[in-house]
Amino acid sequence: MTDTHTALRRSPLAHRSTIKAMEHAARLSEVPFLGKLILRGDPAKIAKTVTGVAGASLPTACRATRKGDTAILWTGPDEFWIVTPDNAHAALADKLGKALSGIHHQVTDVSSYYAAIDLAGPKARGMLMKLTTLDMDRSAFTEGEVAGSNFGAAQATLWQTASDEEKGGPVFRLFVRRSMADYLWCLLAEAGFEWGMPRQAPLSGETWRLER
Amino acid sequence: MFLITCPYCGTRDQSEFSNAGEAHVARPANGEELTDEQWADFVFLRNNPKGLFAERWVHTAGCRRFFNMLRNTATDEILAVYEIGAKPPKVTTVEPATPSGEAPIGSGNDAVKVMRPEEPK
Repeated sequence: MTDTHTALRRSPLAHRSTIKAMEHAARLSEVPFLGKLILRGDPAKIAKTVTGVAGASLPTACRATRKGDTAILWTGPDEFWIVTPDNAHAALADKLGKALSGIHHQVTDVSSYYAAIDLAGPKARGMLMKLTTLDMDRSAFTEGEVAGSNFGAAQATLWQTASDEEKGGPVFRLFVRRSMADYLWCLLAEAGFEWGMPRQAPLSGETWRLER
Repeated sequence: MFLITCPYCGTRDQSEFSNAGEAHVARPANGEELTDEQWADFVFLRNNPKGLFAERWVHTAGCRRFFNMLRNTATDEILAVYEIGAKPPKVTTVEPATPSGEAPIGSGNDAVKVMRPEEPK
């Protein structure tokens, strides 16, 4: 795992460390310093070029595609997120900009704007069900699915990165604006309290309990 | 609470959406020729019918796109969802009758009486 802070930078949840529920039921961890780009443009016009540069093909509605370490997430009919490993996004944005010149498009670096939280384990679905109106049943939300929704009071984008059958699965990745990251972290911990996840004290000092 | 089918994301809970008022209100092209009354009509005055209504919604927490919806404001029945710029599809719905003695439409009276075709008037 990458260090959450160095002399030069500090991830949104650097003050938190990975927490677990009992008996591998669930595990909450931050994924610091992922590269995130927002790509906008008409999918019919940019698809071929983007696949050539990023590797993965453009996903269909509410899905994600991946090639190696790079993933493309559908977030809107003309909007995609490209998620890359640390420090790979700048070069990719550069290449995309050059390859797409002449086609109406936009590439924006939002790496520092969003925090990424990984939630893994068999009780992960149960924890998310307490916080969102999305159908989190394993038949309804599957691997590679992407959905934006409300989680408690926070808006976040949810992406299932590993299937339920995989060891330690399912794994969900939540992208949330960094000012809401600590709130969502504490809320997820509260949702996992039932399965032995330790409660976290929010930075803001407020306390809340989920109704049971 | 009801479920709304976003034309891009599929069926989601209403809490993910925001209402954005009446649809198909075109900005006047001849703005410099309008009187104050005509401007006020465009800027402030909206229809508030009891029954079929075309309105804009935005999928705030999801794809953040605007779309149009045909909704029966008396019964909350959603009849059609279509993209911005498209013409509203032809739909049929039960128009709520306003029996005599009921407060006028728009008065804030939320007691809704829907007259089904098979019911006696």
